[in-house]
Amino acid sequence: MSDTNTQNNKKTKRESRMVKVWDLPTRAFHWSLVAMVFIGLVTGYIAPEWWMGLHIWAGYITVTLLVFRLVWGVFGSEYARLETFTFSFSHIISHMKEIVTLRPVRHYIGHNPSGAVMIFALLLVLSIITVSGLLVLGGEENQGPMAGAASYAVSEIAAPIHSIFVVLLVIMVVLHIGGVILEGKITGENLVLSMITGLKRVPEGTAPLVHRQARPLAAILVTATFFAIGGSLLAAFATMPPSGLNHLEPNKVYETDCGDCHLPYHPSLLPAKSWEQMMATLDDHFGEDATLGADSVNEITTYLVNNAAEKWDTEAANRFKNIDPEYPMQITKTSYWIRKHHEISPETFKIKGVGVKSNCGGCHTDHYTGRFDDQKIKIPKAK
Amino acid sequence: MKNAKLFLIAASIIVALTASAEAGPREDIIAGFTAEGAGAPNPDNGKMMFNKNYASGKPDTPGCTTCHGSNPSQGGETRTGKPIDPMAVSKTPDRFTDKAKVDKWFLRNCQGVIGRECTAQEKVDFISFMMTQ
Repeated sequence: MSDTNTQNNKKTKRESRMVKVWDLPTRAFHWSLVAMVFIGLVTGYIAPEWWMGLHIWAGYITVTLLVFRLVWGVFGSEYARLETFTFSFSHIISHMKEIVTLRPVRHYIGHNPSGAVMIFALLLVLSIITVSGLLVLGGEENQGPMAGAASYAVSEIAAPIHSIFVVLLVIMVVLHIGGVILEGKITGENLVLSMITGLKRVPEGTAPLVHRQARPLAAILVTATFFAIGGSLLAAFATMPPSGLNHLEPNKVYETDCGDCHLPYHPSLLPAKSWEQMMATLDDHFGEDATLGADSVNEITTYLVNNAAEKWDTEAANRFKNIDPEYPMQITKTSYWIRKHHEISPETFKIKGVGVKSNCGGCHTDHYTGRFDDQKIKIPKAK
Repeated sequence: MKNAKLFLIAASIIVALTASAEAGPREDIIAGFTAEGAGAPNPDNGKMMFNKNYASGKPDTPGCTTCHGSNPSQGGETRTGKPIDPMAVSKTPDRFTDKAKVDKWFLRNCQGVIGRECTAQEKVDFISFMMTQ
């Protein structure tokens, strides 16, 4: 030990005091992840629905970052390696006690045991968030690689998991920042700066450091292999047609006879019973006489009933199956519709091109596919 | 050259005049209502009908103008926000040229606005008014 110390002392003093702890890829990973979590939270909680595209991209990039970090955790330089911050349970507990009593007995160059727990927990929670998000995207929105494999029922399980773990993530981010501040206070080191420069101070009397170099080639090869396999798998899933999104044969009679007065609603937007009731009461159709010839009524009724909500597994069909029993024919009276539109002001509904609440196509540019993608919402500008 | 131009103008005027006088689908439709008992068309009554606030049919549609707007040469809007082409034949040349459509809409809208079916006389009055617009 004294031999190595002498060796170190031969080098310049500066070199022995500051040491490169976080390599560039680790730092780039950290701040990229910060950016993605920020974008994910803003687009998930605050931004309007049509920012969904950005939310999805933040998710995909997060997955890429997570995969990279795990690979770098094997092939990265010393302190990026997972093994350097894998501590025993008792070790973690004793460190937490030290932290709580503000009496650190040992200094760690890389992650300390409590910090390490946070790193692993963050990796796990972010994995759960991205995987559940991918399932919601596929099951509910019929988008992304899982659109064909994930049914709406899958998204009904995945969606609450996604939400709950995001709340957990926010709590963890707060704890993480708190930990950084706390450790900075105890050690007098600016940890945020360390994550920018990569340098950390080595206290006097620290045991000599073994600093293994990164193996970038191995890391690149493993990452590439992973993405080749994972990408092919997802690409294979992506070839499946979106589940529960049927091909709807256009019907001329429906589109002209009903479409003369209002946009032809996608048949998946109401259950069969509601369509039957509507077609039987055309003489008083939302306050208007909409009488049609018997042939038209028969053809349209058959068309609507054959393609009613029960026949689809889209988000809209699943939601609008739950009609308000008092208004079985009104989509805009369903609790889901009201909840999704409560932030839209009455003035917005009056904008030319929208006019009334029942004019779905005023903003939902893909309404007649039954998809109602978040990204396809375009509220016209008021003049 | 000048003669040729004049000839063309004269020819197009003649063609236009004959076309308007010639029996077309709209005239056939009017003839059909005449056969049902309508007399000579009275555009003034048609105008009165278009502007009248009946309020005897469905409460949401007291008059034609509820949806068609007060000016026949301008378009209207359905209560669901869908634009309606102007009723004036000069603006929408294919108005009253499809028998099935004419019957469908007179039936619906007379019941909805007036609360009863329109007579053949009312129909020709209405169409003749829109032909002057």
